[in-house]
Amino acid sequence: MKRSTKIQLALLNNLVWVMVAVFFLLNAVFTPSFLSSRNLLNILFQSATLGLMVLGQGIVMMVGELDLSMEATLAFAPGLAILLGKAVGLPAFVCILVTLIIGTAVGFFNGFCLVKLKTNSFLLTMSTQIVMRGLVLFLVPFSLAKLDPVYTFLGRGKIGPLQVAVLALVIIYAAFEFLFRKTTVGRRFLLTGGNRSAAFISGIRTERVVIYAFILAGLLSAVAGLITAGRQNAVSNNMGSGLVMMAFAGAILGGCSFNGGMGKPIGMLGGTLLLGMLDNALTLNGVDVNLVSATKGALIFLAILLDHLRYRLTAWIMHRENIRRLMRSVEVEKDPAGTRTEGGQLN
Amino acid sequence: MSKAENREGSSEALSLKNITKLYAGTVALRDVSLTVRKGEVHGLIGKNGAGKSTLVGVISGLVPPSSGEILLDGERFSALTPVVAKRHHISIVTQEPQVIEESTVAENLFFPGYLGGKTVINWKELSVRAGEILHRAGLELDPEMKVSALSVSERQLLLVIKACFVEKAELIIMDEVSASLSRRDQRILYEIIRRLTREGKTVIFISHHTKELLEVCDVVTVIRDGRAIRSVRREELDLQTLAALIVGNEDFEARERDDLSFMISDEEFFSLQGFTSYGRFRNINLSVCKGEIVGIAGLRGSGRTEIFRSIIGADPLDSGTMKLCGRELRFSSPAEAAKEGIVYLTEEREAEGLIPIASVRQNLTMSILSRLARIGILNSGREKETATRSIDQLDIKVASQTQEVQQLSGGNKQKVLVGRVMEQRPKVCLLDEPTRGVDIEAKDSILHSINHGFREDACALITSPGVDDLIKICDRILILYNGRIIDEFSRDEFSEETIYRAMQGEVIHTDENRTRDGKGSGKAQTADTGRNIESGTAEKDKVPDHRNNGKTRTEKDLKGAES
Repeated sequence: MKRSTKIQLALLNNLVWVMVAVFFLLNAVFTPSFLSSRNLLNILFQSATLGLMVLGQGIVMMVGELDLSMEATLAFAPGLAILLGKAVGLPAFVCILVTLIIGTAVGFFNGFCLVKLKTNSFLLTMSTQIVMRGLVLFLVPFSLAKLDPVYTFLGRGKIGPLQVAVLALVIIYAAFEFLFRKTTVGRRFLLTGGNRSAAFISGIRTERVVIYAFILAGLLSAVAGLITAGRQNAVSNNMGSGLVMMAFAGAILGGCSFNGGMGKPIGMLGGTLLLGMLDNALTLNGVDVNLVSATKGALIFLAILLDHLRYRLTAWIMHRENIRRLMRSVEVEKDPAGTRTEGGQLN
Repeated sequence: MSKAENREGSSEALSLKNITKLYAGTVALRDVSLTVRKGEVHGLIGKNGAGKSTLVGVISGLVPPSSGEILLDGERFSALTPVVAKRHHISIVTQEPQVIEESTVAENLFFPGYLGGKTVINWKELSVRAGEILHRAGLELDPEMKVSALSVSERQLLLVIKACFVEKAELIIMDEVSASLSRRDQRILYEIIRRLTREGKTVIFISHHTKELLEVCDVVTVIRDGRAIRSVRREELDLQTLAALIVGNEDFEARERDDLSFMISDEEFFSLQGFTSYGRFRNINLSVCKGEIVGIAGLRGSGRTEIFRSIIGADPLDSGTMKLCGRELRFSSPAEAAKEGIVYLTEEREAEGLIPIASVRQNLTMSILSRLARIGILNSGREKETATRSIDQLDIKVASQTQEVQQLSGGNKQKVLVGRVMEQRPKVCLLDEPTRGVDIEAKDSILHSINHGFREDACALITSPGVDDLIKICDRILILYNGRIIDEFSRDEFSEETIYRAMQGEVIHTDENRTRDGKGSGKAQTADTGRNIESGTAEKDKVPDHRNNGKTRTEKDLKGAES
C-alpha cells in the first residue's frame, strides 16, 4: 500500500478531528475572544452534558441499535431521585446513587425488553422516552430548585480553575477509550455490532452485550442529568429535550454508523467538540438563537452526508488499491511480455 | 438432444469475449471467452471457486464484468442487466430454489406476470393452465397445493418448468439444478431438456457431476481458476479426460490423506439419542468415538445444518439427549456449548460466520477472547501471536492482520473461519460445509487441517457440498435423508457413486429386520421422495438409523438398535 493511500485512509478514519482542527483554526482567526482560555474551558464545560449523551448513544449504535429515551432519562433519573430523597429524607450522596441506579434500571429495561421481545429499538425507546418525559412533567410541574451542594458538585463544582464536569468528561472518555481498545467487553461490543448472528454463533452472548450497551447509555444519561441539574442548580421538567438528536449528530460525526460495529470514543469526543464549538462560535458572532438551532440542523445533515462520503471514499480507495494489486498479478501472470494493455480498459 | 448437423448450421446464441471480472481481493474470471450455439446443451463444470457462479452472474446480468464484451443476438454489450437479459429471453434457475412458500404451485408458476396484463387474476384459469403445463412436463402436482408442502427437489423442478415453459426463455441457465433433485425428478429434468433442444432452445447446464454432463450436454466447457480451459464436444470426451481437465493435472496435486485411524479410541465420546425437532429432523441417533471424524452426507434441506444448530443451542430441540464423555448436556445458546467444548462452523460464511468490518485478527480470535485476557484486559501480544499462528498454519493470504476480513477472497475467508474454530480447541467440532465455495488448494489445506486438528481428545462431524471431500477425510459417513439418518458407510465401503445414490434416498444396505411396505430386503429401492412427509405416512415407516450391514461395527449397531 502506498504511503499516500495510508495517510488518506487515516484522515478518513479520523475525519472528525480534521474538521475540529479546521473549525478551530477558522474561529481562532475570525471569531473575537474565541481563543481565550476562559472561552475554551467554557466550550468544554458546555459540552459536558452533550458529550456524555453522544458517548451513550455511540455505544448503543456500536451494537447496532439506537436509544431515543436517553434525553428523557436525563430528566427522569435526577427528578425521581430528588423527589424520593425529599420524601424519605435521603442524604445527598445517596440521592446521587439513586440517580445512577434509576439510569441503570431504565437502560436495563430498554435492553432487556429489546432482546426478549426481539423488537425494534426505535419503537421501544420511543415509547419509554414518551412515558418518562410524561412522568417527569407530571411529577415536576415546576422545577425542583435549590439542590444540595453535594448533589450539584458534579455540575457546578470547581477544582482550581477547572470545572468538575470537564474533568468528569475527560475521565469518562478516557475510561471508555480504554474499554473499547483493550478489553474483551469492548471488543465484544464491536463484534456484536459488526454482525450479530455471527457473534452469537461464535459463542458471544450477544443478548447480554446489547443489554450492557443500553445500561451504559442509561447510566451515562443519568450522569448527564446530574451535571445538567447541578449546573442550573435545579431539576426542570424539560431538561434534555431535543438533546437526543444532537447526540445522534455527535455520534455520527464521531464515526458511528447505524449499521453498528463502528466508532470509538475518541471520535465521539471530536463530534461533541465540533458541535460545542459551533454553538459557541455562532453565539460569539451574535447569531440569532433560532438561527443557531437551524445551523445545528444543517450540521446534522452534514454529518449524514459526511458519513456517506467517508464510506464511499474509503471503499473507493480500497477498491483502487485492490485493482492496482490485482492488475499487477494478472498482467504478470497472463502477459509477461506486456503486449496487451488491459489496464487501460479497467480504469 | 439436438443432432450434430442441426448444430453446425445454427448461429450463436451467446458469446463472451475476453471477460475478466475482478472482485476485491480476487480475480474471479480471467479473460474468459465462450461461445454457446443455438439449440445446444452447453455444460459448464469446474471445482468450487473456479468461477462458474461469476460466469453465470455475468450471463444473467447480475454481475457486471470488469472488462470484455458479451455478444447476444448480434448485439454487443459491455455488461448485461437483468432487464436486458430478460428482454433477450434469458432465464436462470439457481441452485437455491426461490419460491414463495405460502402461495400455490400455480401462482408460483405464473408469478409475477400471471396471465398477461389483466388487473383481475382469473384464478381458475391459472390453475387449469398450470395443471396442463405441469402435466406436459411430466411432474404430477396439484396446482392448488401450497409450495411449502413440496420437497426441495420438487420446488427446484417447479422453477425449471417455470423458466422453460412459462417464461418461454430461449436461453435457460440451470445452475447446479440437479444437485438437489431426487432420481425420479432428475429423469424428468433430462426429459425437459431434451424437449427444449428439440424446440431449438439453448440450455447452459452447470453441474458437479461429470457423468451427468456427459449424458446431457452437447458441449462441455471446463472452468478452472477463473479461466475457460477448454470447450469440448461430447463425442471427444470421456470421464477421465474431463476429470483431468477439471482438476488441472499440471500445477496442483492434492495431498494424500494421512491415515490417522490409529487415533480413534473405542469408547464412545459424543452421542445423540432420539434427537428430534419436528419438521426439521427426527430420531437422530449417532455415536462418535474420540479421535474420529464422521461425515454427514445429505442433500440440501436434508437437515444437516438444522441438527448442528440444535446441538449448539442456536435452534430449538423437541426431544432427545446429547452426551459428551457420558455426561448429559443441553444448551440454550452457542456460548454455553462453546464452554463445554462443542463448537460449530457455519455454512453461512457471510451471514453468520464473519464480522465483515472487523479485522482478520479480530475475526480469528473472537471466540477465545477470554483466554487471551487477564481480568478482562486483552493481551494484545498474545492475540497477535494467536492470529499469526492461525495464518501460518492454514496459509491464509492476507496483506496484514489488521486488514478487514471482507476484503479477503472466499477461500481465505473460509480459512479464517476454520482457524477461529481450531483455536478454540474444541472437544466436538461441528463443521458445516467447511469447504464451501473455496478453490481446490484452499480446500486441500482446509481438509488437511481438519484431518489433523480435530482428533486429539476431540472428534468432528462434518458435512460437505461434495461427497469427495467426505470420502477424503472421514472415517465413517452417515447418510441423512429427509431429516433421518437412513444409512451408514464405513471407510472400506466408501464409493462416491454409492454414497451419492444413498443421499438420494436409495437404500444401499439392506437389513433383515427391515420391513417396508411388506417388501423385504434385496433390490435397492427408492425411499419416499418427501411428498409424503406432510401427510404423515413417512413417519409410519420406521427406518432404523444404523443398519446392520453384516460386516463391521456390530457393537455400534447394537447401540443404534436400542432406540
